[in-house]
Amino acid sequence: MSYGILSFGAYVPSLRLDRKAVFEAVGWATPNLRGLASGERSVANWDEDAITMAVEAGLDCLANTEFSVPHICMASTTFPFSDRSNSGLVADALNLQRSIATEDFGGSRRAGTSALSRALSNSESTLMIASDCREAQPGSVQEMNYGHGSACVLLGEGKPIAEFLSSSSEHEDLIDQYRANGIEYDYSLEERWVREEGWLKIAPDAMQGAASKAGIELSDIDHFVVHGNGGAVAAVCKKLGLERSRFSDDLKATCGDTGAAHAFLMLSHVLSNAGAGETIMLVGFGQGVDALIIKTTNHLSTARQGRGPERFMARRRATNNYTFYLSLRERLSLDFGLRAERDNRTSLSAFYRRRRDINSMLGGRCSNCDALQYPRSIICVSCGTSNSQVEESLSGLTGRVKSFTEDWLAYTPSPPYIYGNIEFDGGANVMLEFTDFEPGSLSTGDEVRLAFRVKDRDEKRKFHRYFWKPAPLTRL
Amino acid sequence: MASGIRDKVAIIGMGCTRFGERWDCGPEELMIEAFSEALTDSGVSRDQIEMAWLGLFFQEQSAGKSGLPLSMALRLPNIPVTRVENMCATGTEALRGAVYAVAAGACDIAMAVGVEKLKDTGYPGLPERSKGTFDDLWLPNATAPGAFAQLASAYQAKHGCDSIDLKRAMAHISVKSHDNGLLNPKAHLRRAITEEQAMNAPMIAAPLGLYDCCGVSDGAACAIVTSVEKAKEMGIKDMITVKAMQLAPSNGFEMSTTDWDGSYLQTTRIAAARAYKEAGITDPIKQLDMTEVHDCFSVTELVVMEDLGLCEEGGAIKAVLDGKFDKDGEVPCQIDGGLKCFGHPIGASGLRMAYEIYLQLQGKAGERQLENPSMGLTHNLGGHPFRNVASVSVLGLHSA
Repeated sequence: MSYGILSFGAYVPSLRLDRKAVFEAVGWATPNLRGLASGERSVANWDEDAITMAVEAGLDCLANTEFSVPHICMASTTFPFSDRSNSGLVADALNLQRSIATEDFGGSRRAGTSALSRALSNSESTLMIASDCREAQPGSVQEMNYGHGSACVLLGEGKPIAEFLSSSSEHEDLIDQYRANGIEYDYSLEERWVREEGWLKIAPDAMQGAASKAGIELSDIDHFVVHGNGGAVAAVCKKLGLERSRFSDDLKATCGDTGAAHAFLMLSHVLSNAGAGETIMLVGFGQGVDALIIKTTNHLSTARQGRGPERFMARRRATNNYTFYLSLRERLSLDFGLRAERDNRTSLSAFYRRRRDINSMLGGRCSNCDALQYPRSIICVSCGTSNSQVEESLSGLTGRVKSFTEDWLAYTPSPPYIYGNIEFDGGANVMLEFTDFEPGSLSTGDEVRLAFRVKDRDEKRKFHRYFWKPAPLTRL
Repeated sequence: MASGIRDKVAIIGMGCTRFGERWDCGPEELMIEAFSEALTDSGVSRDQIEMAWLGLFFQEQSAGKSGLPLSMALRLPNIPVTRVENMCATGTEALRGAVYAVAAGACDIAMAVGVEKLKDTGYPGLPERSKGTFDDLWLPNATAPGAFAQLASAYQAKHGCDSIDLKRAMAHISVKSHDNGLLNPKAHLRRAITEEQAMNAPMIAAPLGLYDCCGVSDGAACAIVTSVEKAKEMGIKDMITVKAMQLAPSNGFEMSTTDWDGSYLQTTRIAAARAYKEAGITDPIKQLDMTEVHDCFSVTELVVMEDLGLCEEGGAIKAVLDGKFDKDGEVPCQIDGGLKCFGHPIGASGLRMAYEIYLQLQGKAGERQLENPSMGLTHNLGGHPFRNVASVSVLGLHSA
């Protein structure tokens, strides 16, 4: 038993927007975007946000692990709630123990790397998730460059896949971009200034500092995971005289910049390919720099089990429909008719009574007849015994589609509204709303997994309610 | 030992409005229209009616809660009026209340009125509604067509039938109901359609297209009932009596266990078995001369034919395509056009079905009159296949 990174995970939404399609739609007004119009970016579905993506990364990280998580941290610049524990909801969805400490970190794109630096320095046991779902103004550089995603690492005592060597942080109030409270979009300054005055003057010191603390040379480091735009990273690489090949893929071509999640996402990408005994430097940038060095162990290859962004990268739904993207992300208000006017007020006292049923998908297994049912009930649906049900989560179960429909009458931000009866391993049947399925792609008997998603948006009170939805299966 | 309701209560008067988009009428006008016809038909005076039941589903959309809308509209003399609501079985529930009151001897003459004013909601289809504070947190915001469409996917998976055959049988059901509705002056939709139109209509909830869905209508219906003894005293000839009235709500079996395969209606099977027993029916195909079933969607009618034992399990596609339930078939179904074309003002629908059987048994059904029917069945399904309330009633000539 020793301390370090025990596991990792990542998530990238399946929807990918073709950047050429963006340019074709807005290039008449913003011809300067032509140079960015290649590859694709990830786009969160209408029912995804930083919380739901954090849950996905957490599930990826915790699958087939035995570790009891005492502490959860979530880093984001796009928390769905400013006053409601975002990490707490993630902990519930991950069905973690109730005696858990929860912390939300924000305020900077490097909120995640800063929190990770502190946790590793203090040998804290924690599940550290970074997730970001930044919106961008239509026709902006950010719209081209940004993507949505999440990633995480699990820290604690066990069989580490990577050990912590050192970290170094610098603070400089260089405002390369900012987003004031209550404002939807980032305001960015000229890249050349940020590169010359920011990256080239601030990053090398922190990177050297971390290497010195670890007692190694920068040239000894196998992988540089640097969250920044390509030009700045190349300039830093050149200034430090390092090999460009040691700088990991910034995932720009396939995913885009996922903000506070991106350093973690790139790290998980490296971890899903790295060998044992390799050193990795992780660099987060934004009003300063965090630089951390870790070293992989020979547990990495056995603990990996297909974790990381690759399987989500492979499961992609490409779109070149720019207005579809705009509408999903609420950048364009389409007329969805009277059915979209439904009042989705949530009774929070009713929710509180059944919060674990909803957040953790807790059903009940009858201790008399073994029937699993959702939702739990006082009287067993199969044998009629009272108060016999033991809590059991369905969230990790594989289900099969028993019946379904594609409903063009019901309101959903992404028609058609697909829902149906799912039979789960372990013997429960639940009628559920599906997500991430293309029309025409489903058949009865198909296997599905459950994904934690926004169920309904209450536009009047700006409250999202969350629940579990069958989604296409992606196996570890 | 209870003996059931068979032949204890007679229906002595019925009325039904024209169903449809009654833009010029509110619930008050509709209730009075149905009531006036029923009262005239019964030959009793309004002061002889001692108790009333009102069936209304979307109270928030039209007339409001309680029995007051009926009492106020008809200016009833402060007699008891009970409002009942059991989703699409609401109209039959109103009738059941009146029938049981008479059977219990609580009164001599009772009345049931069902009404629904759907076209003031501003919706095509049924309006959105909360499912309850907890269910809203997890159940899909399903529409009726979406919920019933799943009967088709599950039926197809279970019986391995071809999707085109299933769609054609569904189309046959709709074409048949349109043909029947054409002959009914009170029907909402009075025009013939072709199988091609039905099969190629815009998709509402796959595989249900526009013509697989019933009309959303305004309307009201009314029944006046009394005991068989009282009816005899009144000298009523060719008396029409209630043979059975059964109700079966879900208890979670369908939605919470893996024992239900989604291809049939569990509650309908239970209610039908009880109703057949109560009515003394041992061979429904031979003994029933007609059925008015809950054809909210074509596929519902298809599986209900099996659930009522009118064809063998897995055999509905063939039976439908063979014309077994057409107006000249072995057991005609929806001779009045059904929910599909007569229309579906929810609170009135169960009473509308009874109205058609009442007319047919008396030989008063005009152009669509069947040859000497003596017994008919009504069936409602409130809710969705995975969680619903089924009602099955049998009405017949007293002599039958």
